Amino acid sequence: MTTIGDSAQHISGAAESGKECADWQALLERIPYAGHLGLEVQWGDGGVLVHLPCREALIGNFMLPALHGGVLGALIELTARVAAQSQDTETRCPRILDSHINYLRSAQARSTFARADIIRQGRRTSLVQVTCWQGDENKPIATGQVQLLLPTMAAQQEDRHGH
Amino acid sequence: MTKPNRAQHSNAVATAWQFTEQVPHGRELGMQVVSVDQGQVCMRLTPQSWMFAQDDTKEICTSVLYSLADSAGGLAVFAGALELMPIATLDLRMDYLRPASGDRALLALATCRHLTDEVAFIHCDILSEGNRELLATANATFMRNTQGQQFHAGGRGKESA
Repeated sequence: MTTIGDSAQHISGAAESGKECADWQALLERIPYAGHLGLEVQWGDGGVLVHLPCREALIGNFMLPALHGGVLGALIELTARVAAQSQDTETRCPRILDSHINYLRSAQARSTFARADIIRQGRRTSLVQVTCWQGDENKPIATGQVQLLLPTMAAQQEDRHGH
Repeated sequence: MTKPNRAQHSNAVATAWQFTEQVPHGRELGMQVVSVDQGQVCMRLTPQSWMFAQDDTKEICTSVLYSLADSAGGLAVFAGALELMPIATLDLRMDYLRPASGDRALLALATCRHLTDEVAFIHCDILSEGNRELLATANATFMRNTQGQQFHAGGRGKESA
């Protein structure tokens, strides 16, 4: 993907936004579980977003109803993974090391959006902050921090042989 | 899967168990409650190819483990508290120690470490069936007695938000 100076997360211009969305979409499409959840990439006010459409099978509490906490976990982890991978010059497939998610408001049975902010993209690791909201971006329903490991060449090769 | 010990539990645990099995997302992922024994919850999930993390591997996506830990953790709150009340996940931290192979079922073992009137602290380990090595560990905090929704006897309550 193209990056402009240090502000890679805030690329402006239609051509760049279209390319960034396409890059993210291509990475998401390689993740079977993301496809199953129906995750799709969109261009929002401040950059690229991941949209999780609501459906009945994502409900964790059918009385409220509310989305399952694990569905938000998946939205946050997969958004972080695609963000980190799209920033990597070799688009290496990152391994999620840990994630810590705070639930801020009840997640209603409706469309949910996620935005990633890369806190640090290192040579071997990436730390990504993801914010999720539904109607109002200023009222997040969950935030999460995900630590990812970008595999070295040797580890990638070993992985290939392992499968 | 048979449920030999559900009937032996208090009504609260039996109801929470039944509720956990009715959660739509849990059903979609094929989560089953195996046992609730002395406050420890065991849940099981059979991997399917749409749960994989990448199209060229047979590794289960970490987020599936996350969902399993959240569900097992919620049931562990009731196993610890022995009473029904609406609960909500406040936060959940996962450490993914090893890749989870799609060849084996996942097991989640969740326990309530500490309980106050307002909060439950939960620990959950995720393993591959037939293997003692940990795949992932989770620590979660659940809010108890969340406002706004009555817990109806006879079946249903808040499992996680």
